[in-house]
Amino acid sequence: MSKAWTKLVCTGAFAIGLSACSDSLPDVGEDQSGDGTGIIELAEFPDRPYWGDTHLHTDNSVDAFGFGTRLGPEEALRFARGEEGTATTGAKTQLARPLDFLVIADHSDGLGATRRLYDAPRWYVEWVMGDETVLRWYDMMHESPQQSTRALGELITAAAEDRLPEAFTAEAEAQAEATKDIWNTQLSTLDRYNEPGVFSAIAGYEWTAMPNGNNLHRVVMFRDGSEKTRQTFPFPGINTKATQLWEYMRGYEEETGGRVLAIPHNPNLSNGLMFQMTMEDGSPMTEEYAALRAWAEPVIEATQIKGDSETHPFLSPNDELAGFGVKGWEIGNLTLSEKTEPSMYAGSYARSGLLRGLTLESQLGVNPYAFGMIGSTDSHTSLATGDEDNFWGKHTGNEQAYTDRATVTQNMGTRVGRFGWHYLAGGYAAAWARGNTRAEIFDAFARREVYATTGPRMSVRVFGGFGFTAADWDGDWVRKGYSEGVPMGGELKETGEAPSFLISAMKDPDGANLDRVQVIKGWIDGSGEMQERIYDVVWSDMASRRRSGGRVPFVGDTVNREDATYTNSIGAAELRTVWTDPDYSQGQRAFYYLRVLEIPTPRWTLFDAVRFGVTLSEDAMADAVAQERAYTSPIWLKINS
Amino acid sequence: MNLTSWTREPLVHFVALGAVLYVALTWGGNPPDPASRVISVGASEKEKIAESWTLTMGRSPTDAELDQAVDAFVREEVLYREALRLGLDESDAIVRRRLVSKMDLSASLAAETVEPTEDALRAYFEANTERYAALETANAEVSFEQALFKTKAAASAMMSRGAQAGEATSLPAGLTSSPMRDVEARFGQQFAEGLRTLEPSDDWQGPVPSGFGWHVVRLTARNAQPPDFQSLRGVLTNDWRSEQIAARKERAYNVLASAYRIDIDR
Repeated sequence: MSKAWTKLVCTGAFAIGLSACSDSLPDVGEDQSGDGTGIIELAEFPDRPYWGDTHLHTDNSVDAFGFGTRLGPEEALRFARGEEGTATTGAKTQLARPLDFLVIADHSDGLGATRRLYDAPRWYVEWVMGDETVLRWYDMMHESPQQSTRALGELITAAAEDRLPEAFTAEAEAQAEATKDIWNTQLSTLDRYNEPGVFSAIAGYEWTAMPNGNNLHRVVMFRDGSEKTRQTFPFPGINTKATQLWEYMRGYEEETGGRVLAIPHNPNLSNGLMFQMTMEDGSPMTEEYAALRAWAEPVIEATQIKGDSETHPFLSPNDELAGFGVKGWEIGNLTLSEKTEPSMYAGSYARSGLLRGLTLESQLGVNPYAFGMIGSTDSHTSLATGDEDNFWGKHTGNEQAYTDRATVTQNMGTRVGRFGWHYLAGGYAAAWARGNTRAEIFDAFARREVYATTGPRMSVRVFGGFGFTAADWDGDWVRKGYSEGVPMGGELKETGEAPSFLISAMKDPDGANLDRVQVIKGWIDGSGEMQERIYDVVWSDMASRRRSGGRVPFVGDTVNREDATYTNSIGAAELRTVWTDPDYSQGQRAFYYLRVLEIPTPRWTLFDAVRFGVTLSEDAMADAVAQERAYTSPIWLKINS
Repeated sequence: MNLTSWTREPLVHFVALGAVLYVALTWGGNPPDPASRVISVGASEKEKIAESWTLTMGRSPTDAELDQAVDAFVREEVLYREALRLGLDESDAIVRRRLVSKMDLSASLAAETVEPTEDALRAYFEANTERYAALETANAEVSFEQALFKTKAAASAMMSRGAQAGEATSLPAGLTSSPMRDVEARFGQQFAEGLRTLEPSDDWQGPVPSGFGWHVVRLTARNAQPPDFQSLRGVLTNDWRSEQIAARKERAYNVLASAYRIDIDR
């Protein structure tokens, strides 16, 4: 009945000259539909970080729609470009500053499926699909946003445990058609909002494999314009393995001459499976596997709404600033179907993954885990918000309309343990590029000249080489960095001399001051053991904040808990130094990355508490102020073998 | 009143929609009448059920599947009419919300794929020239040099002495023909606001505050392009479409609302 009614109204609209009901979309010029090459003038060297989110879900994602989101790719793109939008739950919202690029990464599995289920007539679900579980989900989705959220929690758990009702998976053919339609429509929409020099609308999707609820998800990101991306379709995550995804990616490149890469995310919810010492099936890693992975996955997403994956205090007991965004997430895998044992952590965090990469390289000659790092949101609201004072929730079920969102359990936390306040506000990706086009942004990712932040837009730059000195700051140090060294993401070949680094960190110009810059070094020692060490290399007020007992004193805390404000009366606007590794030893494989810390600022939970008059629990209140941070991609020191 | 303007009249829409509904409902045979106790499923009804099945599944139903769908249709029709007889539709908040969103969606569905004609786009541009001019001004290309100081006093002092040497910083010492969007990304909003208040000159001006400190600035050029139809075409089309979708929802509502007398005690 409802279908007939929709068609009727559509016919009526046509008759009175509004429009035809068709899904054909207009073509835009090649400037917009291509990869942007040759369209704008490029800088000689990458001259500023471009800011983006590579992990945003819209109402085409099976779970996002189920959670209630009714904003699509078009709204998502307008919002990311800085336009005012209206959240699904009704309120007007806008980014304080526009983003420079966006990857809409909807789940490839069941693209649009919940939306179609939702829109189907009930008799169809009940009698044709004929599955009680699906029908129950259907009814829950229509009953209320809360019930809809619960239904999707069940659906995700079922998918993770590979027990989706047959009625849901049987529609494979229709699903494939729908996926094609949505993909092609999306590519047209991306082209219309892609504007070389201003905003890069980049094609992508999420490959959502999660055996037994262990998160192995990847965001797949394309360099190319729609002429090439139309020749492929999102690769399904259910019942496929990462190696198959990489083969698909290689196939795409061979067929189209295009470029594609994959970005693993939430290793923290993988129960040790993201960075294993073996291949997925437990057999010893081969050189081919390592090389394929290194080729396909140059970058990982180290921080996002579902927690931070840099490192865990268990793995880094001497790192007093470890443990940001770990609480709640550390207890189990994505669906909480399995608890996480400490023995699993090493395969679940970026720093230990990088270390394992060095070990595997010494065995195989190839480093499978030589990845750079970015942040993103993983927001399921079509709103790419990463700022603490403008958090729009993981999904529509915890947008700002739900004022108690910080204190309630999460949708998949019906088994106790994960609360709203464990969500982070989400991060952003910074890409050092010569200009803002699809190709330039992608290439920055491919050469790992990118870094992660937990939201603030601090500008962080590092060059590694041999023989950099403080006098280099007086000249054109960027040129020198590129010509005599390598930027973040690059590789140095050992010379027997200790490597030195030009390190520059500027605060977010509209944000908080900086506390300190640290170099995180990981290496394989003489006996083959993995080692890590944190060096405080430059910090604010160094004259008065003297190191004591080997530690730099706490920067202080200006946050007023009553009104969620802070002042920049502590910290520094800019920190830079030249640092030479004091513990260098020839013949040891190593990586070096920067961690830049802001002074303490209010988290979204404190803003919520103040704005909505919500009382946070003691635990949540203790976590309501944090030091936001950036992680750069490492520079690797390769040894002569 | 020319052709395009009368087609926008709500009254015309209302009459036309009414006519279409009348034809469609009478043409289709039985208008759904909850009071009737007859449910006939003839060839044309079967065809509709099959079509609906095909739309959802992407292929035609088999005979068995069609029989099942017909049974389902009958069952739903019986229960639907009984529900109406009991007045369940009138008191159910979920039914109400679902119907409302269905109507809203129907109105925007058609607009999502529509393209403006050249004339419509030009008219839209003319009507919004001021807005686009303001955007161009806000994003004007500027050329400037700057030097950074820790305090306002230090910056002012250095400016009066014509000195340029400021703090050592990784900020660019100047930018050439950069859009303000880019200036804002590098120097922040506070600096951009300050820069907007300055007029181009060969003199050092300021100091202008930013998150980094105080800047003395030599703004040598500011060039705001007048809004140009051709170069704005893409933006115009996107904005036009997005406004159309909202406007059509509103217009569809107004068409329907115009058939009601609405009294609100205030």
